[in-house]
Amino acid sequence: MAKSEIRVGGLGGQGVILLGHIIGKAASIYDSKHATLIQAFGPEARGSACSAQVTVADEAIGYPYVKNPDFLVIMSPDAYTQFAPQLKPTGTLLYENELITIDDRLPAGARALGIPATRFAEELGRRLVLNIVMVGFFAGVTGLLSKDAMEKAVKGSVPKGTEELNLRAFRKGYEYGVELIGAATVTG
Amino acid sequence: MDESPELVSLRNGTKVTIRPMVAGDGPALLSFFRGLPQEDRQFLRDDVTRPEVIERFVAKLDDDSVIPLVAEHEGRLVGDGTLHRTRHGWEVHVAALRVVVARDFQRSGLGTALAHQLVRRAVGLGLDKLVAEVVDNQIGARRAFEKLGFHQEATLKGHVKDIHGAKHDLVIMANDVSHIWERMEALVADYSPTAGD
Repeated sequence: MAKSEIRVGGLGGQGVILLGHIIGKAASIYDSKHATLIQAFGPEARGSACSAQVTVADEAIGYPYVKNPDFLVIMSPDAYTQFAPQLKPTGTLLYENELITIDDRLPAGARALGIPATRFAEELGRRLVLNIVMVGFFAGVTGLLSKDAMEKAVKGSVPKGTEELNLRAFRKGYEYGVELIGAATVTG
Repeated sequence: MDESPELVSLRNGTKVTIRPMVAGDGPALLSFFRGLPQEDRQFLRDDVTRPEVIERFVAKLDDDSVIPLVAEHEGRLVGDGTLHRTRHGWEVHVAALRVVVARDFQRSGLGTALAHQLVRRAVGLGLDKLVAEVVDNQIGARRAFEKLGFHQEATLKGHVKDIHGAKHDLVIMANDVSHIWERMEALVADYSPTAGD
């Protein structure tokens, strides 16, 4: 059975849980797969460590906890420090590359792909959509779920009136991810 | 941004397509503006009966500080709406809306439809505040903007002159659309739903 384990980490206020929720929703509602979501919050409303564990599979999931993820989506240095060592050696790290510096915590063999998601979100008009840029980046890089399912999940998860900018944020991240993968394939 | 044309049904059942302005719209746009009565053109910022002015509009289509829409009915342009914003400085979060409708399409809901599209695009661009200028006797336009959430924020006394030389007050209407993002802010708060229980 095909099963992918994903860990999302960042700070409260970056939309970590929403990011995980959208991946799970795209998988389970729009791509006919199974998905689970576990969320962990810090004690403060904002700025404390926050993470989500998402499992996506073709069949029912018996154990929803993620110990060694296939994909690690990281938006803060603290989350990188905490979760990078847990990534599978064959796994992929997707990270905010203007906030995080990669070091030897990353397991040998793991692939690291960065995106200036915060800057992109600010250029689009709202820093708030940083997590949606990361959702798009995840979709573009991993190809785990269809673009259509991911877009529908974004549109169905954000407040009315904000869909257009959120979809632009998704597409920005998606296109950047697809280009990065294309460049890596050509040079690699 | 969603650039696809939208078919709008007006109050009298007439169907009009609202779409982004394209480079080929120049001649039709000139006809549209030349067809406006002088009293309507009086309140526009440029002499839109001059071809070079229209050419300047069309040449600026790649400039992301102006987002122009047109309304088309049976191959004829019957409305023009633009969103103007600055890309730098202290008003970077603000945009101004301008809407002009052909005389035979006024009071049909077309102005409201154009303004609605512009508001939607403004929110999509992450803008916080929208403003529109209306002359005091343009009651219909004021009501249309009010329906879209605008309110009277300021009045410039005797600020504009009509074609007879009579002075009118210019009403500045404003719409704070930033509240739309408050729900998004709550959504990305990553706050435990059980915290404080």
